[in-house]
Amino acid sequence: MKKKTLMIASELFLLFCTALCWLPIYYFIISAFKSRKDIVKYPLHIIWERFTLGNFSYVWKNMKFAQSLFNTGFITVMTLILLIVISSLAGFALSRIKGRFFRTYYSVNVALMVVPFISCLLSLVMLSTKINLYNSVWGCIFIHVAWHLPFCTFLYSGFMSALPMELEEAAYIDGCSTFQVYFQVFLPLLAPITATCCIRSGITIWNDFLLSSTLLNSARKPTLMVGINSFFGEYVSEYGYAFAGIILASLPISILFIFLQKYFIKGLTAGAVKG
Amino acid sequence: MKTHTSKHKLTWNQKKQLTGLLFLLPLTLFLAAFIVYPLVSVIFYSLFDWNGMSQMKFVGPDNYKLLPSTEGFWEMAKATVIYAIGVTGLVVLCGFLVALALDKRGKWRVNRTLLRFFWFFPCLLSGAIVGIIWRIMFNFNGGLVNFLLNQMGIKSVNWLETYGVTMAAIIIASVWGQIGMCAIIFLAGLQNIPTDMLEAADLDGASEFQKKMKIVIPLMAPSITINVITTSIAAFKAYELPYTVSKGLPGYSTRILTQRIYFYSFSTNKYGIASAMSVLLVIVITLISLIQLYVLKKREDIY
Repeated sequence: MKKKTLMIASELFLLFCTALCWLPIYYFIISAFKSRKDIVKYPLHIIWERFTLGNFSYVWKNMKFAQSLFNTGFITVMTLILLIVISSLAGFALSRIKGRFFRTYYSVNVALMVVPFISCLLSLVMLSTKINLYNSVWGCIFIHVAWHLPFCTFLYSGFMSALPMELEEAAYIDGCSTFQVYFQVFLPLLAPITATCCIRSGITIWNDFLLSSTLLNSARKPTLMVGINSFFGEYVSEYGYAFAGIILASLPISILFIFLQKYFIKGLTAGAVKG
Repeated sequence: MKTHTSKHKLTWNQKKQLTGLLFLLPLTLFLAAFIVYPLVSVIFYSLFDWNGMSQMKFVGPDNYKLLPSTEGFWEMAKATVIYAIGVTGLVVLCGFLVALALDKRGKWRVNRTLLRFFWFFPCLLSGAIVGIIWRIMFNFNGGLVNFLLNQMGIKSVNWLETYGVTMAAIIIASVWGQIGMCAIIFLAGLQNIPTDMLEAADLDGASEFQKKMKIVIPLMAPSITINVITTSIAAFKAYELPYTVSKGLPGYSTRILTQRIYFYSFSTNKYGIASAMSVLLVIVITLISLIQLYVLKKREDIY
C-alpha cells in the first residue's frame, strides 16, 4: 500500500506543477475577456456577468490586425516555399553525390548553423539598404530563407543519406538523369522531413521579432509580433489589449499544434536527438 | 573538380557531379549573400572607427581594446554570464525532472499525451510574447505575481526595478518558455533506455533512487550534453525575451551582450564598437559549439 500512496502523491505533485506552469496561460486567456479594473482586482476569477469582447474588437481595429496577419502569413509561406525547394535540392546533392567537394561543402554548411544572427544584423541592414531590400517584405523573406537554409539542408541531407542505395541505382540503370532521380524517385519520399522543416522554421518565422522590427521599419508593413509590441508600448497599462492581441497572434499556430501535436513534437526535436 | 572537358563528351559521372553543383547553386547564392558576406563584413567593420556616415577610419584592434572601457561593459559581462548559467542550469534541471515524471505510465496516472501538451505549449509562443506576458505579471501594482504573494501574506516585491531581483525575473520568464522543449528531448532519450536493464536492477533489489543514479543518468549523458549546449547557446543569443521583460533596467544590471550589440548598432551608431561586440558573441558561441563537438566525439570513441 505504501507504494500506491507514494504514486498518488507524486501524481498530485506533478498535476500541481503542471497547473503552476499553465497559470500564466490561464491568466492571459481569461484576462483578455475582462476590463482593466477586473484584471487588477480579481486576476484569477472568471467573471461571467461582465464578459466582454471589447479588447478584441479594439485590437482588431486599431492594431491594423488584418494587415499584420496577412503580412506575417505571406512572409511565412513564401519563406517556407523557397526554403523547401532550395534545401531539398542541396540536401540531395550533399547526400547522394560522392566527392571531396561535396563533403567539404557539407562541413561548411554545418559550421554556418552556429553563426549568431544578431551579430550579422547590422551588416544585413546595411546590405539590404544597398540592394534596395530595406523596408521590403522580400528583403525579410530572403534573409529568413538564408538563415534557415543551413539547418534545413542538414536535415534533408541526413534524411536522404539514410535511404537505400538501390533506390537510385535502379533508376540510373533505367536511364534516368540525375535530375529525374531527384524529382521522380526522391521527391515523393520527402514528405516527413518536409513536414519537419515546415514546422520548425514556420514557428520561428511566424514568431520572429528581431529581424522584422529592424528591417520593416515603416508602420505600413508590420508583422504580428512587431505590431503587438508597439501596441503594448503605446497602451502600457491596458493589459486587456495586450492579452487580446497575444491570443489573436498565437491562435493560428496553437490551433495547428492542437491537431498536429505528434508531428510538431517530432519535428521540433529532430536533429537534436541524433546530434 | 573536372567539370571542363570541352570537345570531349562528358562522362556519366562528370554529368552527375555537374548536376550536383547546379543543385547547390541556389543554396550557395543565399549563404554567400546573407550569411558569409555579412559575417565577413562585420569582422571588417570591427577594425574601423565609423558611424555609418563619416569616412571609415582604420584603427586596427583599437575597438577591441576599447571594449572593456565602454559604458557598463563589466555589468554587461556579469549579466550575460549570470543569465546564461541561470537559464541553462534551471532549464536542464527542471526539464529533466519533468521528463522523468512524464515518462512514467500506468493505469492510475493522468494521460501523458495531455500532460506533454500542457508542458510543451509555452515553447510555441514567441519570445516577444512571453516577455510581454511576464512583464505584466511582474508589475508592481496589479501584477499577478505580487497578487499571489500578497495572498500568501508576503509583501509585494518590486520585480522590475530592484537590482538582482530583475535578473531573477528575466531568468524565470526564460525558463518558463524553454522547459517544455528540453523535457521533450529528455523524454526521447528516456524512451531509448532498454527496459531489461531496469528490470534486471529490480531483480537485484535496487531502489528507485539507485536505478536513477546508476542506470538512467549515465545513459542519459548524451541528451544532457545536447540540452546543456543548445540551451546555453540559445541563452547567449537571446534578445527579445529579456528585453521585453526588463528593458535592460534597472541601471545596467540586466543589459546582456545582445542588447548592447543592438544598442550600439541602431541607437548610437557606433558601428566599430557594435561590430567588435558582435565578433565577441561569435567567438563565445563558436567556443561552446567546439566544446560540444569535442565532448560528443570523445563519447563516440568510448562506445
